[in-house]
Amino acid sequence: MAIKTWELDPKFKYEIAATPGGEEIMKCFQCSTCTIGCPVTEIVPSYNPRRIIQMSLLGMKKEVLESDEIWLCAICQTCSERCPQDVKISDLMGAIRRIAEKEAEEGKIEVKSVRPIFDKAFANQLRKYGRLYEMGLSLEYYRKAHKGLISGLMAMQKDYSKLGMRLFKHGKMGPRSMLPEKIKRTDEVKKIFEKMGE
Amino acid sequence: MAVTKLAYYPGCPSGTHAIEQDISTKALFEKLGIELVEVEDWNCCGAVEIEDPHLVYALNARNLAIAEKDNLDIATPCSICFYNLERTNRALREDKDLSAKIRGIDPALDYKGTIRARHTLDVIVNEVGLDEISKKVVKKVPLKVAPYYGCYIGRPSEIGFDDPDNPDSMDRLIELIGGEVVPFSQMKTKCCGGPLMMTKGDLAFEMTKKILEAAKAKGADCIVTACPLCHMLLDAKQPDIEEKYSIKIEMPVLYISQLLGLALGIDPKKLGLDKNIVSTKEIERKVI
Repeated sequence: MAIKTWELDPKFKYEIAATPGGEEIMKCFQCSTCTIGCPVTEIVPSYNPRRIIQMSLLGMKKEVLESDEIWLCAICQTCSERCPQDVKISDLMGAIRRIAEKEAEEGKIEVKSVRPIFDKAFANQLRKYGRLYEMGLSLEYYRKAHKGLISGLMAMQKDYSKLGMRLFKHGKMGPRSMLPEKIKRTDEVKKIFEKMGE
Repeated sequence: MAVTKLAYYPGCPSGTHAIEQDISTKALFEKLGIELVEVEDWNCCGAVEIEDPHLVYALNARNLAIAEKDNLDIATPCSICFYNLERTNRALREDKDLSAKIRGIDPALDYKGTIRARHTLDVIVNEVGLDEISKKVVKKVPLKVAPYYGCYIGRPSEIGFDDPDNPDSMDRLIELIGGEVVPFSQMKTKCCGGPLMMTKGDLAFEMTKKILEAAKAKGADCIVTACPLCHMLLDAKQPDIEEKYSIKIEMPVLYISQLLGLALGIDPKKLGLDKNIVSTKEIERKVI
């Protein structure tokens, strides 16, 4: 598919560079070291971090932000470690994902991946309790990802009933884990989210 | 040995699916003569789900500040918590403006940057040291072990404490206690897919399956790891992976603190070995 040059957004790369984690994007000289060593590419050959960076540099904003690929990154830091230009690709992907989340919230693009829902549900537990409340996270994530409490619970049951039993049998999921473990000074954590949240 | 007391950051899974790591780390450090003082009212490090680095720094500035009040270095048995604590430490030291901004949020974040963040594995190998540990070894662990390091122990190298491509801190411990390290250098730092577990489960399963199958093919009696997320996939999810691909792995996965604890003569119950999902009975039996 040919690139429609008139649809490119030349400001996109600057937007990424201004987002924490994305600062080094302009240093990329397209050598592909990131992609060659990527453990995700090994399994999903179409996943190509080098191409995502190239598309971003060209200004293919919508294509990048709406691609499923940006949500496949496992943040394992292999690319960041090996990059000869110190682009910090793991962090860069995170910056691109956050721009995508923001644009999706504003209704400008459509994101198919459920990962933003999961990340948001995770952040919500933290904001409320100061620590991860796994049960709360699962409930919120499944409810939102499956668009409803009942369908969410059914999907959760399908995915996690066996694991849940296993954890329960080994004393890793008891009545205590049904309730959140809340820190004392949640106000401090709330303030962090208010002041630092994007 | 200089360190006698550390601020202990257990991390969120310490009360649930990584309870055996928490139990065994505490038992091990007691045996090593290092007091662990839990960071008072610690908060979550943000794990890999909080993607805004500045938010991660602010969250961890609070944890670091609490430990700093007691003038103690902070240590955690979780690789992800370690990564977040230590990268915060670096960023706040290097970026004065950011540091000032975070301090301005609340007095609780007034971190001055005077302590270190350590992985407990780093403390064991590089602070206590192999010589000191060898004096305390009372049992032989003649097992074939696949050491799985995962991501953040060595990567990124400005934060990690071991080699990014060929880490060996666990290898050295295994050999010290009479174990044999199986050839595992292709796999030891290859990501298990942990961060994708909930949102791209199939992909995470593929990634973990490779590690499990490699360990099996090399004839390992068990895998050891130092991260609760790796452990969750390798151990708790192992039966799901076996079912999905119709394969048999049956590979015990121990935390390094559990394996080392056995060699130091700590009771298996005190190491939480009954909590691992894949049975560790065979492993316990082989310890002499």
